[in-house]
This record gives sequence, structure tokens and C-alpha cells, in this order.
Amino acid sequence: MRVILFTWEFPPRIAGQLAYYVNRLAVELIKKNVDVYVVTYNNSWIGFHQGADGIKAYRISDKVQPQINVLTWMLSLNQEAERVAADIYYSMKHEVNLIDAHDWHFIPAAVTLKRALKIPFVYSIDSIEPHRSRNSGAPLSSSIRSMESLGISEAARIIVKSEWMKQELKRYYNAPDNVIEVVSPDSESWIDGILATYQKRLEVPAS
Amino acid sequence: MLSWEFPPRTVGGIAAHLFNLSRELVKLGVDTHIVTCDFPGAPESEVVNGAHVLRVDSYKTPSPDFATWDSLMNVNMQKETAALISSLSGQVDIIHAHDWLVANAALGLKHVFRIPLAATMHSTEIGRRNGLHTDYERMIHQTENWLAHESWRVVCCSQYMSGQVRWAYGLSRDRVTVIPNGVDVSVYEEEFDRAEFRKRFAWPEEKIVLFVGRLVYEKGVQTLISAIPKVLSRVNAKFVVVGEGGMKDSLMRQVANMRLAHKIMFTGFLDEESLRKLYQIADVCVVPSLYEPFGITALEAMAAKTPLVASNTGGLSEIVEHDKTGTKIFAGNADSVAWGITRVLLDPGYANWIKLNAYQKTLEVYDWAKIAKQTKEYYEQILKEYDGGSWKPT
Repeated sequence: MRVILFTWEFPPRIAGQLAYYVNRLAVELIKKNVDVYVVTYNNSWIGFHQGADGIKAYRISDKVQPQINVLTWMLSLNQEAERVAADIYYSMKHEVNLIDAHDWHFIPAAVTLKRALKIPFVYSIDSIEPHRSRNSGAPLSSSIRSMESLGISEAARIIVKSEWMKQELKRYYNAPDNVIEVVSPDSESWIDGILATYQKRLEVPAS
Repeated sequence: MLSWEFPPRTVGGIAAHLFNLSRELVKLGVDTHIVTCDFPGAPESEVVNGAHVLRVDSYKTPSPDFATWDSLMNVNMQKETAALISSLSGQVDIIHAHDWLVANAALGLKHVFRIPLAATMHSTEIGRRNGLHTDYERMIHQTENWLAHESWRVVCCSQYMSGQVRWAYGLSRDRVTVIPNGVDVSVYEEEFDRAEFRKRFAWPEEKIVLFVGRLVYEKGVQTLISAIPKVLSRVNAKFVVVGEGGMKDSLMRQVANMRLAHKIMFTGFLDEESLRKLYQIADVCVVPSLYEPFGITALEAMAAKTPLVASNTGGLSEIVEHDKTGTKIFAGNADSVAWGITRVLLDPGYANWIKLNAYQKTLEVYDWAKIAKQTKEYYEQILKEYDGGSWKPT
């Protein structure tokens, strides 16, 4: 199985704890014989790098600077994420089984790749905008919410880390119960749970 | 083709450009699909003169500002275009973007499908704003820069714009192709009661001097108004100013202070039909712009057989050849504007000579069918290079 992980933070670029989580996920997936590519952002360390741990990471950078807000920034970066994911797809002879997008940042790219190249995606949710913004109705915040909403409606499956988050997704986004998988990173069966979700997706023909 | 506007959604000049270009490309056998923003009352999908038009949700949730809205609109545009290209089994040869407003969508699609990207730069942020002053403007400039560099070759509508694009984005000469804008002469051929229509604007003994354009500084309308007394000292005329803009109030004050309110008429926005008729009854059309990437109003006057007086600036200076297809004047110089107008109004033989030459030039150079042919050749050249390269997926 070949999986591309989309994350806006990955070591050495650390914004919150998501970087550590995705790093650990990549390491564990490799141990389970998954061919893992990480597509992430880093404006000073650019390009492809394969580490001793076997992680193949593509670090994309800003093509447009300055930016006026986080949305214009992320939405222009999404084109670079698409470029790199497509490069992996074409060099791997069209064999990319799944994209796992972590939080909203690269959801538009995941949606386009799904429509264009029939690569399904899983949306892994660490946090949601209504929590980060205290449910603000400001235009910027509601625009970010609309990106999360897009991810929820287009994802093949959604992975959350707790039962509480699952309930919050249902509360804020009316997310359907049967697409959300709760996989706790603290549990012994964490990586098997993630893999099982990936596998579940692969059994269904790509839409 | 991707564009943020297509009729009936008309904001600037790109809508009309695509409308005419797509019609003629279809006639040349180019299967043309246009993806654009939705518009109240316009169908989501239709065929216009043989071209397939798809209107996507233009993102109507509140967004902080225009550029952020545009980024969000591009998410929808890209998503729907990806689905469209997939539904055509990927059998799309070229993605053609018009201006930075669709850059994000076009750039991603280029790479995802590995289809060569064509781009027409109708204007530039650095030209529109006469420099870059804020992060907002710099962001748009950089987006244009990115689009210019990612596109196989950039199309500009004049040598002047080609120079500006090469300078602003550091492109080499072979990365820019000049294909002019066009004009449809047939819309100026319908019959109507000229004398009756003329009564709406001027007395029978007055010549009509026409200005069409946004009432903003770079269009030079203030220069035209300063020239009025000099013109009136030699010939009786009515100045008809069509368009709206931020300078309207101050221009009207300027006219009142000059005691000339009876000699100038501000019509505001005019419907297309009236404007077409107005071109035909005007005795002279003046384009006194200080900055002009192309100068579509000059072309309209030429197509309508209206004698043309135009500044020697930007794209205008390429359209108008002095004493042949029009009278050239110095930009921003009221004496020069007055000289040009009186020359045309007092010498009917000369006026007739320049207007017929100008009309002939629109048929020879600015004919949409010819422009579409050049556009098709531009596509074919790109495809030839693409087919010979290793980027094309196997």
C-alpha cells in the first residue's frame, strides 16, 4: 500500500503537536510495510529527503509571498501540494492508494486529487475551527470552517482521536456517524486501527 | 478556458473577450469548454455559440476581502474543473487561464493532469496600481508572476503589454506571444433613425465629441475637459462622456466652474445598444488615456467608423497610426487634445480618410476569426513542444 500524508507541520517545522503525531504515524506505518510519503510545508528546507527512519518527505515552499491571511496562504500552497502529489503519482506509475490529510490545510488539494486521479482520501482531524476560534462567526473563521466542511463531505473516512471529537463533529458539521472512526493514539492497537481504516477504504471502489 | 467572468456575468473586458474568442475557436474545430463563476439567472451548464460553458458556485459565504474570496472561489472552480476533465477522460489538451483571478485553480490542474498551461495576462497589478504599495497588491503581483512562469507561454494583447509583462516578471522574449484583442464590426451595421437618436445628445448644429471609459485619472478625461474651450473657439460641439467613476463629481464641478455645463453631457453607464448607436453618430471619438494596456474603446470607434483621436501611449499607440488610422495626441496635454479634435472636425476629407483606413484595419488585424486562428496556432505550438518533452505522462 502506498499512502501520501498531507500535513502543514512536520519535523523540523513544528507548530503544535501535530508534527510529532504525523512523524510517529509515518514511522509506524513504515514498520507495517506501508510505502509512506509525507507532503509538508517548510520554507527553508525544500525538496525531497529520505531520512534514516525511512520516511520520504517532500517539503514544499511558498510560491507567493507576502500573503494577507492564513487562507490565501494555504490555498496557494495547495497548488504545490497537488504538484508534488501528482509527481509521486506519475513517477509511481499511477499507484497511489490513499491520501491521509491531517487537518484542513490541504483539504482542497485532496479533493481535487480525488476528482482528478481517483485517489481517495482520509481526513484525520486533530482540531476543528469552531474550537480554535470559540465558534467565531467572523468571515475568515467561517471560511476555514467551510474548508473543514468540504473535507468532511468529500472524505472516504474521517479519523478522530476521541469519542468526544466524534460527537463534536456531529454537533458542528452534522457529520454522518458511519464514516467517522475513533482511533485513540494512546491505545495499544492504534496503528492497527489506522491501518484497518485505510484498508476499509481500499475495499470500496474509488468514487 | 478558465475565467472569473463570462456573459451574462460581465465585470471587465475578459467576459467579452472570451465570448468572441470561444465562438471563433469553435468554428476552427477547437472543442472549447469554459469554466466560470455562476450568475443569477444564468444556467449552470449551457452551450454558447458551440462552446460548453460550466458555471461553478462562486463561493457565497462571507469572506474577509476580494482576494480571499477569489482563493475560495478557486477551490470550487478547481474541484469542478477536475471533475469535468475526468468526465472527458482526460482528453483535454490545453488549460487556458485568463488573469491571476483563476491562477490557483489553473496551476493545480496543470500538474494534477499534466496538461500544458496557457495564460493570457490582460493587465498587470503593477500597471493597474501604478506600482505595488501594500501586501495585498504584492500578493496579487506574485500570483501573476507565478502564473506567468508556470504557463508554457504568456499571451499579451499588445507589444506594450508584452514589454510590461517581461519586465515585471522577468520573462524572456520567447516566453511571450502577442495576440491582439478583437472587435466585432457586424454589431455596428444595424440600421436606425440617426437624426432621431442624435436628438438625445446634441442640437443638430453641434458636432458630437465622444468619450467612453471609466471616469478615473488614468483615462485622461480631465485633459479632455480642459481642452473644451479651445475646441469651442473654433467649432460648435457637444462633448458626450459615457461611463462612471470616482472622478465624476470633481469633473462635473470642473465643468460648472468653466461655465460649460451646457456643452457637456455625462450619460453615466449606457446600455450596449445605445452605446453602439452613439459610436455611429459621433463625429469624433477621443481616447485621451494616460495609461492603456490595450485600448478597446479605440477599436470600437474604428469598427463603428468613427474618426479617432487617441493618446500616443501604451497599447493605443500600436492601434493608431498617426494620420492614417487616427490622429495621435500627446497624453495629458490639453492643447494637443484640442488640436486633434478640431483637426478632425474641421476637415471632413481627412476625417473620412482616417476612419475608412481604421475600419479596414479592424477587418485585417482585429478580426476575431483571425485572432482565434492565431490562438489556435499558439496552442499547436505549445502541444508540439509538450509532445516532444518528458513531462507528458505515459
